[in-house]
Amino acid sequence: MGADQAWILVALPAAAFVVLALCGRWLPRQGDVLAVLAIGASLVLYFFVLHDFLHQRDGLVNSHEYWSIAMHHTWSNVGNFNLNFGTYVDPLSAVMVGVVTIAGTLITIFSIGYMKGEVRYWWFFAVLMGFIAAKLMLVLSDNLLLLYFAWEGVGVCSFLLIGFYWEKRSAAEAAKKAFITTRIGDVGLLIGIILLWKATGTFNIQDILTAATTGQIGHVYLFVSLMFIFLGAMGKSALFPFHVWLPDAMEGPTPVSALIHAATMVVAGVYLIARLLPAFEVVPASLLVVTIVGLVTAILTGFMALATTDIKKVLAYSTIGQLGFMYIALGCSHPDAAIMHLMTHAFFKSLLFLAAGSVIIGTHHNQDMKQLGGLWRKMPITAVTFLIGSLALAAVPPFSGFWSKDEIFHGTTAWNGGWVTFLLGFAAVLTALYTTRLFVRTFLGKPQDQAVYDNAHETGPVMVLPLIILALITCVAGFTVFNGVGRAMGFPGGFTEFVFLHEPERFVMNWSWAAASAVIAFGGVFLAGWIYWGNRITISTRLADWQPGVYNMLVNKFYFDDLYQAGIDRGLLGFSYVVSWFDRYVVNDTGVDGVADTTRYSGSILKYVQTGKVPAYALGIALGAVGLAIAGLVVRG
Amino acid sequence: MALTVLVFLPAVVAAIILLTPKAYESYARWTALAGAVAVFGLALGIFFSLDLSKGGYQFTVTKDWVDIGSFNLQYHLGVDGISMPLVMLTAVLTVAAVLVSFGIKERQRAYFACLLTLTTSVLGVFCALDTMLFFLFWELELFPMFLLIAVWGSGRREYAATKFIIYTFAGSAFMLVGILILAFNANTFDIAVLQNTTFHDTVLPLRWVFLFLLIGFAVKLPMVPFHTWAPDAYSSAPTAVSVLLAGIFEVMGGYGIIRLCVSILPGVAQDYSIWFAAIGAGGLLYCAFITFRQTDIKKLVAYLSVSQMGLVLLGISALGQTGLVGATYQLVAHGIITAMLFVMVGLLVERTGTKEIAKMGGLARQMPLLACGLGFAGFASLGLPSLAGFIAEFTVFLGSFQRYEWAVLMAIFGAVLSAGYILWMLQRVIFGPIRHDAETDALPDQRHWWEHSAVAGMAAIIILLGVYPALLTDMIGPAVSTIMTRVGS
Repeated sequence: MGADQAWILVALPAAAFVVLALCGRWLPRQGDVLAVLAIGASLVLYFFVLHDFLHQRDGLVNSHEYWSIAMHHTWSNVGNFNLNFGTYVDPLSAVMVGVVTIAGTLITIFSIGYMKGEVRYWWFFAVLMGFIAAKLMLVLSDNLLLLYFAWEGVGVCSFLLIGFYWEKRSAAEAAKKAFITTRIGDVGLLIGIILLWKATGTFNIQDILTAATTGQIGHVYLFVSLMFIFLGAMGKSALFPFHVWLPDAMEGPTPVSALIHAATMVVAGVYLIARLLPAFEVVPASLLVVTIVGLVTAILTGFMALATTDIKKVLAYSTIGQLGFMYIALGCSHPDAAIMHLMTHAFFKSLLFLAAGSVIIGTHHNQDMKQLGGLWRKMPITAVTFLIGSLALAAVPPFSGFWSKDEIFHGTTAWNGGWVTFLLGFAAVLTALYTTRLFVRTFLGKPQDQAVYDNAHETGPVMVLPLIILALITCVAGFTVFNGVGRAMGFPGGFTEFVFLHEPERFVMNWSWAAASAVIAFGGVFLAGWIYWGNRITISTRLADWQPGVYNMLVNKFYFDDLYQAGIDRGLLGFSYVVSWFDRYVVNDTGVDGVADTTRYSGSILKYVQTGKVPAYALGIALGAVGLAIAGLVVRG
Repeated sequence: MALTVLVFLPAVVAAIILLTPKAYESYARWTALAGAVAVFGLALGIFFSLDLSKGGYQFTVTKDWVDIGSFNLQYHLGVDGISMPLVMLTAVLTVAAVLVSFGIKERQRAYFACLLTLTTSVLGVFCALDTMLFFLFWELELFPMFLLIAVWGSGRREYAATKFIIYTFAGSAFMLVGILILAFNANTFDIAVLQNTTFHDTVLPLRWVFLFLLIGFAVKLPMVPFHTWAPDAYSSAPTAVSVLLAGIFEVMGGYGIIRLCVSILPGVAQDYSIWFAAIGAGGLLYCAFITFRQTDIKKLVAYLSVSQMGLVLLGISALGQTGLVGATYQLVAHGIITAMLFVMVGLLVERTGTKEIAKMGGLARQMPLLACGLGFAGFASLGLPSLAGFIAEFTVFLGSFQRYEWAVLMAIFGAVLSAGYILWMLQRVIFGPIRHDAETDALPDQRHWWEHSAVAGMAAIIILLGVYPALLTDMIGPAVSTIMTRVGS
């Protein structure tokens, strides 16, 4: 199978979605095997695609041209634009497809254990397949319109997954919130697409990039359209100020959180910006915006994660924070660093979420770290894998997160003055702090709730196996940055020599940078360890008591939820009340019924004129004639 | 000839139903279904034998009908790429309406006869190529519609029916004046001839003629501020009738604007296009805000429906190829999607016995299939890509963006609002904790094949139109081009 048949990777899970959605409940085992087979087949075929892709690349191994394999097919003509189905395989999409299929397969297998015995078991797998299919189409699409189809498909599947337990009001609310918040961003993306179409007359991404880089689009116009597109990315990635939906989205089953937060949905925005980065480069101001939004997000969510005790919500905040890191890298024109961090993050965060899921199942649905602690002895495999994930998240060498975060640090030198590097370092310390806090309070120390601790147990093999595989990947994924490792795997070189914007860069170990970032990571880890493992937790409670306002602000996500809620209640619904009042009482009751009533009323009065007596009519005629005569005289003068 | 059979077949079936003795009352629905399916089959045959390479009218039938001096009334039928999809829509929705009415108990013969008479009148409107014939068909639907709302409806049905009929009649009166002035100017009622005539101001300035025609259609569309009859009528009408009101009658208004106002008086349309954009986008937002405050689920869907018809006006406002294709596509997509929404909501109301959203909640447990259908129709209505609504919406946006960016931005903001009110409605009605009280526990999970087949069929069409728009656009495109050559923009 060649790389131009990459659409089959999308078609398999899509077909599984259709079959499962229509008749999943009647299949043996409610069709979970079918789901695993479909995504597994996609994974296997992905390696064929990758092999063929790298093979074709061999022909031009010495020229550092950006290369790609495209396939496209027009299927409908509407007005004066076409709907095209096209796939575009280049290093960027190859990496993305790899991340989605590998993580997707492991998460699907894990779900068999996690979702066992749930109601609507088949429906979960159906939507999971729909989600993966949409996400694969998103990264393979060669035009913005198809990308938008997939983008919204991802959105609606996430709505269904987050709202999986719709009997719970909070889950239904969270699903609605996620969809509407991202929808606001999506509308921005749609406007951006329309603007770019107006300027270039095409939806094809490569044609648009060519037009942008050759200066066919005015800079201000381009800036505006790119900002609209960035709005879409912000919504999907839950960047500040759209960050409110993601913690609530934890209402969904845990594998969903892994899928949405780690590998797929939230990084769609990173992919989109990385894909359009050549256009962003034309207008440096747009890169500055991306960097600043990334920085603000990374730092704010770091603080919020420190004040949260729900383990899944800590992971949710850390996801947003790591996405902030990726956007910073993109803002520095380093898609290689961003995509590498995306890749490593996808694996270690999937690992952390699945391990958290394992904790939740093992402790019979307990996910508040106030009631956990000391689980190390009860769930050794989960604990070890969680530790590996945490170290990677805290960017401790030699785990994968270290290498990718190091690349991002490198990249920030593009902005003069070092302010980006400084703030990024601060965010990295926060990351190490809250990650260590999470691990220590869950697995180490004394059990906080003896009953929970006594009933805890390790989970079954179908759940532990994906954890082990992901842990292994997390240990080694970072080494792909080295030239030798990449070559040994058949790539043209290390990660940055495979995915790049202009020129491939060979990774060279810069010891001072590495030392600095290692110090940051260890510093955060030790600080948190000193506080939380060393039974100095009172320090943090004293801090909270010292400035309760600040603490409450963190717990309440900087009051953004309340702000938005007030905006909806007072602003939107209030305005709607005024409009509907106007419509009912002014337009309808006064305008429409008023006319009817006036007619009826005047009829009821005028009917008395119709007396049926000739003298009365004659009198009327006479009076009328006299009146007219007088009026005529008056008018004539 | 085929068109004559198509248009009058439902009326003939209606007559047969009325003439059958009362003893066979229960067969009325089967006769009606057979008639509707026959109409659908015939329409499908015409649909696929239409020559796509031509933009003009096909399957034409011309007969002299009434001769009055210098000009005569003709019996002139024909379809082109704009009316054919709408004929198809009518055929589909007639089948659906008959199917969802299978549970009707009261006066079945009269009910189905009225329903089929409506079909004849609507098909007549879409096929008529003579303005007088157009007007006659246009008026033909009023009486059966009045009966359907007033006799089989619920709530304030007399008020709603009366308001509907007076409002529509008032609109039609203006339209008739417009039609007559055009006819006196050109000495013909023939639409094909009128479309190639250049008009000048005579008794009344042309813009008045345009306005008169427009008022008739605006009431039907319904265009803000002539919309207030709609929520009352939709809310009071029985399920199948609200399906037809939203799915076909609104579409008739949009069709009239394209067929008569824009095609015959393109110059005036060009001058006043900004008003189309303003009223389209403004009305869309205005009704979207009102939708948020609705507590009656049928009224909520009614306002939603009015809101989304704003897109049709917006599409027309650009007076360009893309915009008009989008507007026509929106007519079809909106017709089928809103019809499905009304089917789902109507069934929900019949089952629960209340229209109050506050009294619903957690219904997905008791009625999973209904909930799925409502969710599907809801997402189609908020413009989810790969469903019919998105193609229409997006085409309208692209078409109008060339000319009125601000209006498109307003309409896109409306798309956010629509996601808001639809998801909020879904959340309150089908999601959330299951209510356990005497009322909801007694709810039967009735499953009837007729409802299922209607819903499944509509869902399939919505998906088909969403992923393969060429099915219609290849037809609409050439027909719109012929109008465009006249508009000259």
